Amino acid sequence: MSGIETVKIIVDAEKEAAKMLADARTRADDIRKRLDSLIKEQREEVLQAAKKEAEALVQNAENDGKAEAREFERDAEGKIRELTARATARKSAAIKKLVALIMETKA
Amino acid sequence: MSETRKFTEDILTAAKEKTQTIISEAEIETQRALDEAKAHSAREAEDLLSNARAEAEGVKRRRISEVRHRLKLQEQLEKSKILTDALEQTKTRVRDIVKDQNGYLAYLTSLVTSGAREIGLDAVVVHLNSSDLKRIDIVKFEREIAKSLEKSIKIEFSKEPIEALGGAIVSSKDGRTRIVNTLDQRIEALEPRLLIEAGKILFGE
Repeated sequence: MSGIETVKIIVDAEKEAAKMLADARTRADDIRKRLDSLIKEQREEVLQAAKKEAEALVQNAENDGKAEAREFERDAEGKIRELTARATARKSAAIKKLVALIMETKA
Repeated sequence: MSETRKFTEDILTAAKEKTQTIISEAEIETQRALDEAKAHSAREAEDLLSNARAEAEGVKRRRISEVRHRLKLQEQLEKSKILTDALEQTKTRVRDIVKDQNGYLAYLTSLVTSGAREIGLDAVVVHLNSSDLKRIDIVKFEREIAKSLEKSIKIEFSKEPIEALGGAIVSSKDGRTRIVNTLDQRIEALEPRLLIEAGKILFGE
């Protein structure tokens, strides 16, 4: 092998090595370039899931609240009915007492 | 292997190693950034959920609180209606008692006697409503008052009727001192107590 041929082989090898490095840098740049969109995608995915969960939480609470309120309403209305019935039954006694208070004298 | 070939292989091997390092560093760097971003997003998501939990709690509490408040008002309204009705019926009952002259005369006597005692004068003016002025036997009434007072005082009956359900106003002759013993005044003065007493009976345990 002549000296020129040897030099050519080395130069070709260096060219190939340089190309390999350039390709690797391009690939590394591509990886880095994709980072922003990956982060954005990942964030949107996480937040979207959280938003869905949050909506479900509020909706469930709304439903629970309605159900508890209905139950409370039923109980309270029953108590008001009882209270009214009891008061109606005691009305005569109350009137008797009030009349006595009005009509009582110090004399 | 020729030295030239070994040399070129070394060049290529070194280049290959370097390319792996370059790519590997980019991947590690990217993964680290992704992990950090993921942790950040998770914190954002947790904040979002935490706010949602608070909102959910608020929504639930508000629902129950609205109903509780509405029913409390309804209960108070019912109680108020019952109390007002009891008070109105009491007034009606008092009017009925006033109409029954037999029982009422003794009561009116006690009201005038009490007023006369309170005013403490030897001469008083008694003011009655028009109905009492018409129907009451003044002579008999005066006698009953004197008997009740256990002393003789001069009683004059005002010809000007007062606006009252019943009862009397006892005043000095000059009208400067007045003891108001009308049923209306008693009902008005007693109203807070009447409501309390009625409340105890109607809504007590």
